[in-house]
Amino acid sequence: MNHAFVKPQRTHGISDTVLFLGPAILLLSVFFLAPIVVNIFVAFSDMARTVRFEDFPTTQQFNKLGKLDPEALLGFELRGSFYRALALTGTFVFFTLFIFNVTFALILALTTTAVPERMGAVFRAIWLLPRMSPSIVYALLWLWVIDSTERGLFNQVIMAFGLEPMNLQLDHPMTVIVVANGLIGASLGMIIFTSAIRSIPEHLFHAARADGAGSLSIIRHVILPALRWPISYITIYQSLALLVSFEYIFLIMGPSRSTMTMAMLSYTKTLAPGIGGGLYAYGAAIALILIVIGIVVALVMWRLTNMKNLLQRPRIEVR
Amino acid sequence: MPQTWEGIMRHFMLIAAAAMAVVGVTAEPIFAEDVTIKLWARADRSGPLRAGNIVAAADQMNRMFEAAGSDTRVKIDLIETNAAGFDADALDLLKAHSVGDTPDIAVAAHEWIGAFVEGGMLANLEEHISANASMYSDIIPQLWESVKFKGERYGVPQDSEVRMFFMNKDILRAAGKTNAELSALEAAVNAGEFTMFDWCDLAAEAVESGAAKVGWVHRPNVGPDFQMVMASFGIENYNKAEAKLQITRSGLTKFYGWLKYCVDNGSLPADMTTWSWDSTHAAFRGGDSMGKFHGIWNVGAQMESFGLTGADDYFNKIGWINAPAGEKGGKPQNLSHPIVYVVGNTPNKDLAALLVGMASQPVPNTAHAVGTNHTPINYGQTAMPEFIEKGWALVAGTPMLKVAGFMPNHPNIGQYNAVVFTGIQAVETGEMSAEDAADMVIEELEVELGDAVIILD
Repeated sequence: MNHAFVKPQRTHGISDTVLFLGPAILLLSVFFLAPIVVNIFVAFSDMARTVRFEDFPTTQQFNKLGKLDPEALLGFELRGSFYRALALTGTFVFFTLFIFNVTFALILALTTTAVPERMGAVFRAIWLLPRMSPSIVYALLWLWVIDSTERGLFNQVIMAFGLEPMNLQLDHPMTVIVVANGLIGASLGMIIFTSAIRSIPEHLFHAARADGAGSLSIIRHVILPALRWPISYITIYQSLALLVSFEYIFLIMGPSRSTMTMAMLSYTKTLAPGIGGGLYAYGAAIALILIVIGIVVALVMWRLTNMKNLLQRPRIEVR
Repeated sequence: MPQTWEGIMRHFMLIAAAAMAVVGVTAEPIFAEDVTIKLWARADRSGPLRAGNIVAAADQMNRMFEAAGSDTRVKIDLIETNAAGFDADALDLLKAHSVGDTPDIAVAAHEWIGAFVEGGMLANLEEHISANASMYSDIIPQLWESVKFKGERYGVPQDSEVRMFFMNKDILRAAGKTNAELSALEAAVNAGEFTMFDWCDLAAEAVESGAAKVGWVHRPNVGPDFQMVMASFGIENYNKAEAKLQITRSGLTKFYGWLKYCVDNGSLPADMTTWSWDSTHAAFRGGDSMGKFHGIWNVGAQMESFGLTGADDYFNKIGWINAPAGEKGGKPQNLSHPIVYVVGNTPNKDLAALLVGMASQPVPNTAHAVGTNHTPINYGQTAMPEFIEKGWALVAGTPMLKVAGFMPNHPNIGQYNAVVFTGIQAVETGEMSAEDAADMVIEELEVELGDAVIILD
């Protein structure tokens, strides 16, 4: 390589970087980083309905969430409603994630790839329908299904079996939002897992069959090892998404105490008029804690699922 | 048709010239001084004339300017907002103010006046009202209370209303009540003999007899209506002397205990707080529910859905009572929630205030009140033929204003109501006992409102 070429190349390198990464960096900073920075500022202020910073910096918003208590285990004690929101968020994320977004998505992917190609595609398309319909329509259908009167679809079904009508919103609120979110959330995992299963070389299945492996052994020894990385990805991605998700909870349950997760609490304190909105700094403080939880969860899962290793070297041979 | 280029051009120029001539003739003359008044009003089916009356007042004022040979003209720039309710609208209004877009006149729910004044948004109207006494001296004095913040007036009540308990008399008759019993009810409530617990017993009876599917319904979300019921249990939520909100643990426990009683006896749905407004209205208007508490503006919709004609028909079907006393011998209560005009602290505030004064006169106000089932703001209006003919329900509701309370004009009242509502939900759904809910609500109020609320016991 000639020396005369090195310099222009370096300047080229910089301008290329700006040209190719610039838009992405700009987008990331405007739409991803800036909101977090703004959120931090607001969280440490007293911004409320007048949208003014009168007291800054202040930790008064965080004092609403917990108070210092030297006798407590961690040196502080969480307030009742916040503790409750944390617990509800944990329950909601855990059950939606493991029952639906991962396990059920995996079952869907396995079954729809096991049946003939065209039939599998039809079933997958059906599972994608709720994702294609506007969320308000999806929520409305749910409201009709779980209607507590005899008109509700669910109640009509159980009454056909001679059971009493149930009020699911009142008696099983968490189940309602887990199932409603799960049925819509499973389709993402289904797509990712299906494409991963499809990319496993065909000859591996034939080889396994020739060695006498049954369907379960093929799943356990051929398919699941190939799905490690997609499963880790879906687990991390969906747990972060579920942490901040409140759309269906709000549309189906309203501002109900029984499903007041952190994201819902933040929403009701800020942008939901008529149910106590306008406390922007308070909502921002809750959102900030959600951001911190999100970062910690992502890092821990990254570590647990050994994502770093998985990202470095493809585990399956793709041709 | 012109075929050549020249022909096309000539054709075009002819059209252009004609267009200019038309514009030149019809364009309004440009006046020396156009004053633009920014009017902020929520698009609301229950009061299109709240904005319309201001626009009409500006027209009137322009005719006066013209007659006086003045070049000044008032133009109304209507900012019609789309907010879902007055609370959402007030939040938007405060945001607009914070970026320097303060309107000259706004239509708002009165309890936001405290927040508006603290945000530096409003003009104090005391001087304007005393200087223009002839425009305002017939306004029902009680209504002025609703626009006061720390003793001074910051708005003009635009309409008034009464909130009370509605009952479906047909359902009660089907449950075995006689007409005599029903007519005696109102007096029993006003004498403090018929209590809140009796109300739920009555509703439960209607359900047990099969005459009603639901005993009674209340609003499904946070709002002022609960204040009258809380007052029945002895909660005075405002301390005027200190301009602070207040609450009592004992009153709150009694109030929540009563809700628990009503859910347990089957008269109040346990999931009331997750209902939609639509299903709440439908329960009463569809004849499923014996009772409901809400406001007098519902009369129109009730007449329509029950197919009623005229006052006699209506009162044969529907009865009104004040919120009964919490305990025997107590006082009944109801609530009035005026919507008001406020004037922004802007360079045009004097002119804006005069427009508000003109829109508050009997003729325009009656057009609004009768059209939307609101009680009048001026005494004189009740004598107007239009009111007597079309506003019979409002005339019937006016005596109830004697025991009317208002929401306090405190900036945190919305938050206070929201916290109290979490307790209502916790008790009704069976999550908490009345005592636990009262403790939880008191703790939340202390934490969220700090010094703004006084805990009395």
